[in-house]
Amino acid sequence: MRRLVVFVLALVLLPAATASGAELDELLDESRDASYRAEQVITCSTPDGVRDAVIELSQAGGEMHVGAPAAPDVEVAAGSGGWALVREGSVVSSATVQGAADAPQPRYSVDDGVDTEYLGREATRYEMAGDGVVRAELIFDVEIGALLRLVTFNGDGTIYCERRFLTFDPEAAAPSGQDSVALTESAVGGVESDLPETLAGFDRLDVYQDDEGFVFAYYSDGFFSFAVFQIPSVLTIDTGFPVTLADRVYTRSFSPGQVTYAWETRTGAMAMVGDLPPDMHEEVLAGLPAPQDPGLLRRLWRSLFG
Amino acid sequence: MNHPVELISAYLDGELSRLEIGQLLTHLDGCGRCAAELEEMQTVRSAVRSLPLLELPGGLIPEADADVVPLHRNKGFLVGAAAAVVALVIAIAALITPAAGTVSLEELNSRYGARASLDPAFGPAKVVVPDLAGLLE
Repeated sequence: MRRLVVFVLALVLLPAATASGAELDELLDESRDASYRAEQVITCSTPDGVRDAVIELSQAGGEMHVGAPAAPDVEVAAGSGGWALVREGSVVSSATVQGAADAPQPRYSVDDGVDTEYLGREATRYEMAGDGVVRAELIFDVEIGALLRLVTFNGDGTIYCERRFLTFDPEAAAPSGQDSVALTESAVGGVESDLPETLAGFDRLDVYQDDEGFVFAYYSDGFFSFAVFQIPSVLTIDTGFPVTLADRVYTRSFSPGQVTYAWETRTGAMAMVGDLPPDMHEEVLAGLPAPQDPGLLRRLWRSLFG
Repeated sequence: MNHPVELISAYLDGELSRLEIGQLLTHLDGCGRCAAELEEMQTVRSAVRSLPLLELPGGLIPEADADVVPLHRNKGFLVGAAAAVVALVIAIAALITPAAGTVSLEELNSRYGARASLDPAFGPAKVVVPDLAGLLE
């Protein structure tokens, strides 16, 4: 009799669980654990023009290697708190973070998904929405769960960025000949900070500091994320343009899938780097310390002595 | 010799050599215009020197209570002016020269990329791609 009750309950509860839709975190976790090689095109329509790139990805064991046909000697290796830019076998820039990795309060949910086909494979397309606004469309491979295509939207429904695979090979799992690179510049988490704990719907997950004096806080809303840097020296962004948001002047630079804002303060410089859509930028920046003229003497001192 | 107004001024300042004085006086003997110029300069200088010295009320300008600064040029003034020029040149050079302790976009990317690799959304959706075009230059 007891077995019968359990069986009946299972029949009743199973469809209900399925109908509640997939969890975004679960989908992303599965994609993160997938192993494959792929070629991806990134196209972003930014306020400063189109930014695009074609990159080659290979992912295995939660680690990702990124290269580009246009720059065969350049590679990025990332995963498990490390990131390194390697050029001709030498590490050009790298960093690791050690510390808390708290999960943010969930802001988005996905719908039940629709069966589709992508690159000749069975796939499921989901819409991700928060506060009644669709912010992304995601297509996952049914067999191994890899995220094959991602479109992110501005608040008005226009497309911000599209990342889609041009080729996809789940058989080519572990990257060959790509050893993990030696990473330096380790940043320790759990640092005290006066930066806001919540900012325009984003949660401050942790704050880091490294030997070079960089203090940076990482914010996430469960999908989009950005880091806010407090730097005790001069920040130079060669590719940036001056832009005014809410009567504040910043230097802004878009790259495929990413934006950077930089500004001076009386004690150094600040920057915000992230993948959030442009319609979120102004509200985020408004919650951070405003640009300040450091003054002639301070600029002179910094120029002379760094 | 044309009308040597500068020599007249230098003569009044006592900066001419004996030879130059002789040449100037010879010229003045035959040039009414320069002679008049000399007389006018002497009159102006005398008038300036004869002006009374006014004393400001004490405390009105604290700096004015210090030593009286002579009007004529002296070595201290020249040294100060030279130092000011040097400082100005250094300041301008420093302001237009990139500082040694600058931070690049790549340094920000590396840190953001490292932390983003712990993010639940890390993967093809969030991998931080460097400016490949810039790296190729």
